[in-house]
Amino acid sequence: MPSPLIHDDPHAFGPYRPIARLGSGGMGTVYLARTAGGRTVALKTMHARIASDPAFRTRFRLETDAARVVGERFGAGVVDADPRAETPWFATEYVLGPPLDEAVQLCGPLPETSVRALGAALCGALGQLHASDVVHRDLKPSNVLITAYGPKVIDFGIARAAGDDHLTRVGVAVGTPAFMSPEQASGQEHTAAGDVFALAGLLVFAATGRPPFGHGQAADLLYRVQYTEPDLNGVPESLLPLLAQCLDKNPFRRPTTGWLASRLHDGGGEFADHLPDVLLADIARRATEVWQVMPQRLPAPAEDPDPGAPPAPARWSRRRLLLTGAGTTLAVAATGTAGAWAWSRWGGGPHTQPAPAPSNSLLPKKQLDSRWQIQVADPETYLSVDGLEYLPAQLHSVANLVVLVAGDSLNGVSAQTGKISWKSDDTVYTWQVASESDRVILVTEVDDGYIGSSVEDDASHANPLALASFDILSGTAEKPFVQFSDLNALPENQALCIADGVLYLVAGRGEFSQGFLSSQSWYVLAVDIGTGKRLWTAPLPKRRQDSSQLYFLAASVVGNRLVALQEADDGSVHAVVRDTRTGTVRWDRKLDGVAPDQVRQPLVTDAQHLYVGAGPLRALRLGDGGVAWDSKSARPGRTYGLPALGKGSLYAVEKGLGLVAFDPATGRVKWQEKGAQGAKADLKTAPVVGPDYAYTKRGGRLWAIDLSSHAPDHSYRTTGDRFMIHEKAGEIIALGGHFLAAFPLR
Amino acid sequence: MQVTGGGTGVAAGEEPGAAAKARRRVGPYTLITALDDPRTGLPVPERRHIARSADGRHTVLLSLPRPGADAGRFLAEADGSRYLLGPCAAPATALAGPGEPAWYSWPYQPVLPLPTALAVHGGPLPERTVRALGVALAETLAVLHGQGLAFAGVSPAAVLLAADRPRLSCFGAVRAAAPDGTPRSGLPGLEAGSLPPEQASGGRPRPLGDVYALGATLAYAATGHTTPERDELPAAFRTVVARCLSRDPSTRPQLAELIDALSIGAGTDAGAGADNRAATLLTPGWLPGRVIAALAHQSAAVLTAEIPVEAPPAPSADPGTSPVSRPHPN
Repeated sequence: MPSPLIHDDPHAFGPYRPIARLGSGGMGTVYLARTAGGRTVALKTMHARIASDPAFRTRFRLETDAARVVGERFGAGVVDADPRAETPWFATEYVLGPPLDEAVQLCGPLPETSVRALGAALCGALGQLHASDVVHRDLKPSNVLITAYGPKVIDFGIARAAGDDHLTRVGVAVGTPAFMSPEQASGQEHTAAGDVFALAGLLVFAATGRPPFGHGQAADLLYRVQYTEPDLNGVPESLLPLLAQCLDKNPFRRPTTGWLASRLHDGGGEFADHLPDVLLADIARRATEVWQVMPQRLPAPAEDPDPGAPPAPARWSRRRLLLTGAGTTLAVAATGTAGAWAWSRWGGGPHTQPAPAPSNSLLPKKQLDSRWQIQVADPETYLSVDGLEYLPAQLHSVANLVVLVAGDSLNGVSAQTGKISWKSDDTVYTWQVASESDRVILVTEVDDGYIGSSVEDDASHANPLALASFDILSGTAEKPFVQFSDLNALPENQALCIADGVLYLVAGRGEFSQGFLSSQSWYVLAVDIGTGKRLWTAPLPKRRQDSSQLYFLAASVVGNRLVALQEADDGSVHAVVRDTRTGTVRWDRKLDGVAPDQVRQPLVTDAQHLYVGAGPLRALRLGDGGVAWDSKSARPGRTYGLPALGKGSLYAVEKGLGLVAFDPATGRVKWQEKGAQGAKADLKTAPVVGPDYAYTKRGGRLWAIDLSSHAPDHSYRTTGDRFMIHEKAGEIIALGGHFLAAFPLR
Repeated sequence: MQVTGGGTGVAAGEEPGAAAKARRRVGPYTLITALDDPRTGLPVPERRHIARSADGRHTVLLSLPRPGADAGRFLAEADGSRYLLGPCAAPATALAGPGEPAWYSWPYQPVLPLPTALAVHGGPLPERTVRALGVALAETLAVLHGQGLAFAGVSPAAVLLAADRPRLSCFGAVRAAAPDGTPRSGLPGLEAGSLPPEQASGGRPRPLGDVYALGATLAYAATGHTTPERDELPAAFRTVVARCLSRDPSTRPQLAELIDALSIGAGTDAGAGADNRAATLLTPGWLPGRVIAALAHQSAAVLTAEIPVEAPPAPSADPGTSPVSRPHPN
């Protein structure tokens, strides 16, 4: 249902007066709006501060154009638009029908007759789009609205004209992994045949309630889309061969939309004849409830310190857009979807969510074993131009807070209570935040006022690099304490770590681009946080054009060594140690058989060694990079997960066995877990070690292994797949599966 | 088929400007489209429109008397309808002031007159729909009779199908057509099959007359006409509907009997109580898909419709016509 306007919603967009909110997010808000003559429309806006970036204004215009191409039979008919307004907007018909995902949630899997009618009608929609040389590229259940007269395809945020790489260059060429075509997943051209693949996936979802390649993290989905067969269990038998053909990995073997339509449906009857009762009742409800909306505007909150505050500086806009547009995490539990629009990429945002994000819906503790648990959006992914980069949300332990960096926001959560202290929309890439005990530093930019002569000039202009402290009491970014005119604010910049008052970071010089450019130059540098002085700058090898693999996977400082795992241009992982005083590389060792995704985790080091798992377990001497010991010799053929240090031992999960404790100095096995349960332990999750127990994930639970008896002792139910110790609170913080939770560390 | 309750095409947004300008004004409203489709051939006691207030904010269902009808009796019944209770009642919320051409209105929601629903569906409605309709209307009439009123105007056209339940419009159409004591057979606007014989001959409308009219209306929903052959009716409620249509009011069933008979075998919850059987019948699927599609189509077309905006007339240009109950106090 629509919700009331809030006090600072505009009173008019051109001739349209907003009367209610349909939904909102970081990019903008969608309103139900009305003209003086009583015409009622859905009106989609883009926040003015985001629109201050011409590249995104352009994108907004292109989305409007794509919606016009598809027209009102197969899409939400565009009524009016002003992409040049300070707050750009476009108005479409208010579509009376739920998105397909909601429909399936409501009715369960749809009957075959519905699936066939839906498929045939979508073939018509795609056929029309393709005939106009437009490829949708993000066809998915939330982008298809089911009306009584047929489906309508919406949300052309990433649709583009075939052969037009303009949008790609501003970095929004992404899709939804669950419904992506294999060619899109591998970063190749997604053509009309790619839309056919996505359509078939969508029909599998309609028929079974499950996406054809399952759920899960984007990296897994991308893999399965490319290399595994779809799960067609539950698809009606008569549809199997047809859908299997559409889901062929080879785009040239997939049928055309015209042929597919003829095989799906004979065109008999009306569309409504093929819909289940519950879905029809929902359509009828929507058709009626829109007439019960009473214009209503909430008063300004009394504690609002400055209702006339100017919008946030424009310097954040581009990064915000890239992130939001790229379908990254919004660390918000959406407060419900509404009306005619799919909110997936508009969900969540500071302007529109009365509650902070993550939402502070504290769940009953009894059921969960946790001290507290709050709902957050899935710590999802950042998908870059070639669609393969997977970068999770980041957890930091700062003072008495847990700082969750996810999507485009920083969230401060009290480690003691789980209460949200603040949420900041100082937009950040998750990898551009570093923390140390009670300090958070952001790698950011300063707006130098550059205005390009054309949209493309502006899109490639990069602002100077800046560093700013983030006030963890108020939850706001301070003014940058230093800026560097010879370095630029680029998406691939990285904050590595803070040690002894020095921030180590990666920064580049060159044009703004999503993905590396061979024309850019890249450096590691060290900056004194107190004085802003740059201590040293050391060059990095060039990245190949359009790569989106960040340089560093993990880094930390031990003594006067900056220890890091780096990803080379060829995808191999190297352990590299630099001198913290000069930046000189002391040694660089390639780690065979380690995949970058496996080790994008905090480093495990002590004064002597760097410990690496994810395969054999090995200890590298910090002094010269030599192998101090390797499990291959003591326990040949065994596979280990990620290690953890604690209480004088190194712990790691051994595949098929469970937790094993090693002597860190020699690699000698001290003990191994008792009982058979450890065989199920998860190798991807690093253990966490407390004074009396080491904790590892197995099944849906985090199990505590007694460090004295070496047997599993107790467990906590958790959806988390990443665990961090919060020392001050004495807690294990778990993130994953839509929840952030805290468990006692013992 | 896309009949939507507007013979003139509801998608007013597509009309050229000239046609839009020619729209009629009635009281504070501008007409958007007619609600009834003359092609259904069934008499309608009122001229019904979808209309909108001049400021564009309020869309209403607007009724006007038929040409030549007595405006005073029309307004008296409209005024009486303001106090109707019952879940399917459709009370007027605004009506014309003294000296103004007669009209009354109530807030718009998507509705299809029963004859239009049959046209859209392509014939008689499913048994399930008829049962739900019958129980919902009978329950509302029972409330009305408890208020000491007779509806005097139940007919196929008076029944409007909305998404959640039917609405009973045209309150008092029989009384408005002619005063008691005057024969009413063949009067324009009254559908002969649903006019009880005692009211046709000029008798004062009483509750059992509503039972007759309801029986005829349900017969229409189930067969397509108000005077069916007995074996045309679905066997499940053939007997009770036939009893409703008795010429002698004393042999017609009580509403409670009718509700029971229509509920039997329809899976209603016996524990729901006699006054709430309708709720167990008005569940998803009570309306056929094409009727819902037509409701959605109408809703979308009225959302799209735009009335011409004019400069507000000078206050002195419109003396003495302020409605007795100002429309839409908010």
